[in-house]
Amino acid sequence: MRVHALAIARRDLLRERRAGEVLWVTIPFAAVALLLIPLAIGTDQPTLERIGLGLFWVVVLLFGVLIAIRRSAAETPEQRDLTALLGLDPAAEFIGQAAASALLLLGFEVVVGAIAVVLYNIELALWFWIFIVMFSAGVGLALLGTLASVIARSVNAGPTLVPFLVAPLAVPILLAATQALNPSESTRSILSWVLLMLITDLVLVIGGMLSARSLQETR
Amino acid sequence: MTSFPTRVRGISVLDRVSLLALGLALGLAFLTPPEASQGNVARLFYLHVPAVSVAYLAFVAALIGSMGYLITRNMKFDHLAVAGAEVGVVFTGSTILAGMIWAKPTWGVYWTWSARLTLTAILLFVYLGYLALRRLIADPSTRARRASLYGTLSIIQIPIIHFSVIWWRDIHQLGTIANPTGIQMDGILRVAFVAGFVAFSMIATALCVRRYQLARLEHQLHLALEEGAGTFAGDGVSSPQLVATERGEVV
Repeated sequence: MRVHALAIARRDLLRERRAGEVLWVTIPFAAVALLLIPLAIGTDQPTLERIGLGLFWVVVLLFGVLIAIRRSAAETPEQRDLTALLGLDPAAEFIGQAAASALLLLGFEVVVGAIAVVLYNIELALWFWIFIVMFSAGVGLALLGTLASVIARSVNAGPTLVPFLVAPLAVPILLAATQALNPSESTRSILSWVLLMLITDLVLVIGGMLSARSLQETR
Repeated sequence: MTSFPTRVRGISVLDRVSLLALGLALGLAFLTPPEASQGNVARLFYLHVPAVSVAYLAFVAALIGSMGYLITRNMKFDHLAVAGAEVGVVFTGSTILAGMIWAKPTWGVYWTWSARLTLTAILLFVYLGYLALRRLIADPSTRARRASLYGTLSIIQIPIIHFSVIWWRDIHQLGTIANPTGIQMDGILRVAFVAGFVAFSMIATALCVRRYQLARLEHQLHLALEEGAGTFAGDGVSSPQLVATERGEVV
């Protein structure tokens, strides 16, 4: 299973390297959003410093979903038939796709995070926890996005439907990520927020692996 | 061939009793004296609290239906899930609307970032997404399979709901109903509240039963059409065919 999952992740990353959708479309789109928000809410620097981290995570949530539904990850029915005929474990396929999306999301978080730090003058501390939170949030969003794109596969309104399906279910990830890195305003310790994210990730991994076979649709 | 019912039963006993109970509850809500501190606006309480309780129960039914379908692949569970989700959405919408009307004169705003209010709105959107997903998939078994997974995924909201009261400093008053010392209401107000809860539970059950029946009929119709049971105008007309004569010539 591990070999299959790695092969799928490698395939998806290679396809993304050729297409460049995340680097040339999604990241610039998110950067534009970070630039537009202060124009709408006001450019008061202390306010932006205070809410900058929250804005960053909202942008990650809303734009990060687009990474899971990128065109380079879409499979034609013929490709799905072929992978099924090759005997590929559907759970491995799910894990591989989610792993590729998670790696891309981590890259997305780093680049968009750097832009947010520069634009909003966010003070960074707790480097170890920043890494853990970004990793857990990226993995959770990738899993959720992959699951939602499998659920909405071949549906006409799929590209619109997937973000709508993901956004309300991503509330635990969004809350935990914002609260964990903002200890002065949080009522709980960083560890408890990270645990919440890890539990959410675990539920999504188990849910995705258990349902992968039943969601495998061939003609 | 699947038999397909051509007639839907009329108003059932449950429908009649539910409507009667609703009328009684509304009558009681207007007969009670105004609440001491909030006045007449507190009458919305008899609508708001029973509606949200019933909505949560309906979402639990949707979750059970979704999980049941994933485990058994029995379409009955899918019918239960869609019935629970639709009824839950209707009652959650009513709850939020009633709460907003109540909040404006009481808190001075239509919306406040209360944990319960926010989570209730998020739950509404989770199930609106669930219903949107269902609408976009035509094949019943594909729809049931995918919707049941999404319906089951909503389980990740549970820790949020559970811990929300600790995480947020909530403006919502606590313990009017779920109080260790009992319901914090005086005589007739308590009767009106209980009547509201009973009436809303009955209405929700009646709606769930109706929606379940409708989902079953839709499924039967789909099966009947798949098996060719349906006859349509023009079915008897065939496209031009080449016919071989007795001498073997194709005409």
